[in-house]
Amino acid sequence: MQASLRAAAKQTLNLAVLILVVSTVLFFLLRLTGDPAAVLAGPDATAEQLAAIRRAYGLDQPLAVQFFSYIGQMLRGDFGRSLATSQPAIELVLASLPATLSLAGLALVLAFLAAVPLGAWIGAQKEGGGARVASALVFILQGTPGFVAGLLLIQLFAVELRWLPSMGLLGGTSYILPVVTLALFLMPKQTRLIAANVAGAYRQDYVRTARAIGAGKGAVLFRHVLPNALVGAIALLGAQAALLLSGAVVTETIFGWPGLGALLLTASQTLDFPVIQAIAVVTALLVFLANAAADLAVFAIDPRIRDGLGA
Amino acid sequence: MGAVRQANAPLMLGAAILVAMLLLGIGFSALFGLDPHMGHLGARLAPPDLAAGHPFGTDQLGRDMLARTAAGVVWSITAAGCATLIALFIGTGLALVAAELGGRVLVVVQLLVNSVITLPGIVIAVIVTAVIGQGWLPIVVTLGIITWPVFARVILAEALSLRARDYVAAARLLGQSRLKTVLLHILPALKPTLYVMAAFHFADMLIAEGALSFLGLAAPLGEPTWGNMMADSRPYVFSAPWMLLAPAGAIIAAVIAANLIGDGLSRAFSDGD
Repeated sequence: MQASLRAAAKQTLNLAVLILVVSTVLFFLLRLTGDPAAVLAGPDATAEQLAAIRRAYGLDQPLAVQFFSYIGQMLRGDFGRSLATSQPAIELVLASLPATLSLAGLALVLAFLAAVPLGAWIGAQKEGGGARVASALVFILQGTPGFVAGLLLIQLFAVELRWLPSMGLLGGTSYILPVVTLALFLMPKQTRLIAANVAGAYRQDYVRTARAIGAGKGAVLFRHVLPNALVGAIALLGAQAALLLSGAVVTETIFGWPGLGALLLTASQTLDFPVIQAIAVVTALLVFLANAAADLAVFAIDPRIRDGLGA
Repeated sequence: MGAVRQANAPLMLGAAILVAMLLLGIGFSALFGLDPHMGHLGARLAPPDLAAGHPFGTDQLGRDMLARTAAGVVWSITAAGCATLIALFIGTGLALVAAELGGRVLVVVQLLVNSVITLPGIVIAVIVTAVIGQGWLPIVVTLGIITWPVFARVILAEALSLRARDYVAAARLLGQSRLKTVLLHILPALKPTLYVMAAFHFADMLIAEGALSFLGLAAPLGEPTWGNMMADSRPYVFSAPWMLLAPAGAIIAAVIAANLIGDGLSRAFSDGD
């Protein structure tokens, strides 16, 4: 128990250092790009207007002073105000978080619910024709980039068939297309991993033993094969959650989704760096939490890790 | 090494698709005399029609979709290939140095890897395009510097475990220099991992380049890239769906081909053992 506490403390320290480094790099990178005051003032601004804006946002101070006051404020949870809307940056981020988190969460659940039975079925077949066709389909799906799948789904279900809405977040049906798009992107990798693990588990001695002592097909699959196959899939789920949080930009753009990705794209294009910084820090935190949650789940499933016997 | 001698079906199929696409991309305008930039306003948004000379139709400016899709092949495959090489060299180089020197260097490289993975890629893309402009080179550089940690992470772990092997220790005890040990004993053992990772990374880079182009962050406006073409197609979803289908089909085919090569390589290496 003490060992795991110490590990948790070490992870938290790593996270703190990581956030500090990322914030520092972003701060200087963004200052390198251009003058935020010029972006704010627009192309027709006079010199006096520019100077006034610099004073108002503290941009007239030396860079080092700006940097340390920025880090100091950040430690208190204050990322400054958005250069575009003058709202506190962290509030903008927190306001767009539910849209992104609900989308990512639903997509992860849907992908996992589809991948477990499909992967188990493909992995349990030896050389069956059905399993071959299914794995070829999964392979083609894996080759379809998420945003291309999204565009094709819009074309089919919103334009040709007119069954579903394609833009914005206006009620439950708005979720269907973006969730399916993200799930289609996540599902193939999970399915292939589960199929490979299930096929591998069937060759193991403990499965042969279970069969030899007369355990039924279902018992072998659910009690012996699947729990082992799922350990890897859940670790992958954690990595994919991280990918979704930082990579949902294109999907959110396609569907006009009012989430973190859309906020990041607008903030990047207007060099709104308080908002960019806040997004980067919040994303780093969430990615860390997603991986920690996956670790905990693996810990709960795998008795070798839980009881400290194996690796 | 030498395991790739065993050519297998996925490997051959993937390579054949990519080579065919590249040949089409390079030879297309020379063979058929269709210019991807040249529009005919009289033939705007024409549906696919072989007899009219536009088998994939035309776009909103009357430019031939097949010519544009073919031109996109060269842009996408070279950009994804070069970005993969940059990521591979930076990632592998830093990982080997970190594994060999250990200590503080190792800690710094690990911190760098985790930081770059955490940085939002879109922000880097916007910054690079703001500083050096849009185009083929900026997108290659951006993708390379955002994604090298993918290689660094895996190679670092493998190099650290290789260093502990007996044959590496033996080479060291025989007085071989550090550089020679890394180049002659550690790097060759990493080749299977590097080949397989490079193939899958290439697929990811095709997707990333398409996505950045689609968002308007990579290719200059009007340039015939798949991402640009898909972005162009959005106002015409109702009137000209072929504007989406041609570039979408092309990127899916290229990514599937790259995945086939990756699968084939990993199968070839595991059979060789």
